[in-house]
Amino acid sequence: MAEYWRWKEYRWHDAEVDWRDGELITAGVDVGSVSSQAVIMVDGELYAFSNMRTGSDSPESAKKVMDWALEGTGLTLDDIGFVVGTGYGRVNVPFSNKAITEIACHARGANFMYGPSVRTVLDMGGQDCKVIRCDERGKVSAFAMNDKCAAGTGRGMEVFADLLAISIEDVGELSLQVDEEPPPVSCTCVVFAKSEATALLREGWPKSQVLAAYCSAMAHRVVTLLEQVGIEKEFAITGGIAKNIGVVSRLEDEIGIKALRSKIDAQIAGGLGGALFAQSLLKKKLSAN
Amino acid sequence: MFDKLRDWERNRHEYAKAWKEHTGGKVLGYFCTYVPEEILYAAGVLPVRILGSHEPQDVTEPHIFGMFCPFCRDCLAQGLRGRYDYLDGIMIAQSCLHIRQAYTSWEKHRPTEFSYYLCMPHHVQSPRALPYLTEDLAQFKTAVEEWTGATITDGDLDEAIEVYNENRRLLRAVYELRKAAEPPLTGEEAMEMVIAAQMTDKAEHNQELRRILRELPNRQNGRVTGARLMIIGSEDDDTKFMNMVESCGATFVVDEHCTGTRYFWNEVEPRANRLEAIAARYIDRVPCPTKDWVERKRIAHILELAEVWNVDGAVVMQQKFCDPHELDTPAIRKALEEKGVKTLFLEFDVTVPVGQFKVRVEAFLEMLGEEDLFE
Repeated sequence: MAEYWRWKEYRWHDAEVDWRDGELITAGVDVGSVSSQAVIMVDGELYAFSNMRTGSDSPESAKKVMDWALEGTGLTLDDIGFVVGTGYGRVNVPFSNKAITEIACHARGANFMYGPSVRTVLDMGGQDCKVIRCDERGKVSAFAMNDKCAAGTGRGMEVFADLLAISIEDVGELSLQVDEEPPPVSCTCVVFAKSEATALLREGWPKSQVLAAYCSAMAHRVVTLLEQVGIEKEFAITGGIAKNIGVVSRLEDEIGIKALRSKIDAQIAGGLGGALFAQSLLKKKLSAN
Repeated sequence: MFDKLRDWERNRHEYAKAWKEHTGGKVLGYFCTYVPEEILYAAGVLPVRILGSHEPQDVTEPHIFGMFCPFCRDCLAQGLRGRYDYLDGIMIAQSCLHIRQAYTSWEKHRPTEFSYYLCMPHHVQSPRALPYLTEDLAQFKTAVEEWTGATITDGDLDEAIEVYNENRRLLRAVYELRKAAEPPLTGEEAMEMVIAAQMTDKAEHNQELRRILRELPNRQNGRVTGARLMIIGSEDDDTKFMNMVESCGATFVVDEHCTGTRYFWNEVEPRANRLEAIAARYIDRVPCPTKDWVERKRIAHILELAEVWNVDGAVVMQQKFCDPHELDTPAIRKALEEKGVKTLFLEFDVTVPVGQFKVRVEAFLEMLGEEDLFE
């Protein structure tokens, strides 16, 4: 049986760059509740990254994702001067030199990805959602997180992809293929929303329309979280849901602000922020010696 | 140094049972700190505050709404589970509907020989509040006399007032020491100390506080203070939360809630009419949000505490679904932020989700700290 929720894991490294020419090699490892990323930077430039699903064992997931980022680069863990662990499993990264929260790391990562004008970062992760306000350095000035519920997060989207037998990567695009925007599903609870969607399918709604109703409910829920902290321009979205155009465009319409776009994968923002903090910390460590 | 207080706090039921056995006196459980304990104490009764146990439970579901605050449900659960079976009486002073529901349900399902609803006025800022409460206290005094068979004289009231006032002074003296750059006690210890005060004989608690105050100024607790925090909000006896935050490199140096300063901040000032003196104390004390209107007087007090105790950041917490606190929270946060005190807002439940709260607390501390994360 096909598993539609199963998004593709991937890695990348810059084959044009020889890390041996660099001085400061640092990494950030973001072990999230659903996905994990390892990001390697050489002298402040993005050099390599990997993105995979988090397993049940956080230290093992951290090792696997790091090994994959290193693969084919000739780098070993010993060549990396400083590693920051972040995310839900931040204290379970066996080779990290320091743990920093994903809140700080996403703000720092977004600052790099979208530039210093970013003031509001919305991180839509696998099992939670965070609104982060930051200054021109990417330092956090305020934040809010959703409470115990996983509604409006990546895991909920995975459940819907599976229910409707649509690949998770195609969910956003398909949700926009509706003539008229349907009312959002009324329940934000993933389990209840799933029952509601099943009922809509039975009523004969096309899949695109059910997805539209879910994506708009998700966008709406996130807006209430954004309003708690207040949205200041520029605005950017990080985390896996940033790749879902169905949620992003509805969110933009609701708040009346366009989210900044970046060439860098929005899902690695946390790991990237970790690698940037690692660079600052490595510099301090070297100058202290 | 705080072992005895911690022991009283953790083994509150054993303490009360032993007290009863030792003195032969009556123990009364009360639901809100607006209960004038002095009058009970003057009659030889031990007033103990009913608090929850922070364990998941399912016994209150038929009796109290799920969207009532977790604290009132946790309190009622203690009664329904028979943990307070040694109580001879229970009482409440009007505070909020949620805790009153816990009280009335307890009264119905776990009846005691004495039960009293004291109609503490909400509108404490009205000039009519004092004469009203004074009269109400006279009726209450009579009810206590009828229950215990004792006559409460002015002399008895004076003694009780003095024991209670001394307790308030001693607790404030301990809080004074928390102003130091390196406070000699943690917020967790302070919380245990105040909770213990709510469930022990104050004369004995005073004795222990006097001993602690002799040694405390010279105590080296080997901690790094880190960020100086304040905790503000509704009823809060969550020592585990305090411990979690303080293990992340911060120290709570002061608080503003009813298991902290709000309980003991004000003394009873002497007046010829003792009941009026007691009534004035409860009318004029730092108010709970159920009573803090038309003017919000609590905010000025919070800002003063934050300034004098040199606070870097404040955790503003409330029991989930606590409407009175919910109403005040935005104004409190705004006032603090305007004074440069960053705030972290958290909603407490019966048990605290440690992982979820920890990331918020750590991020908050990272935000407060100018740690070397940036070049």
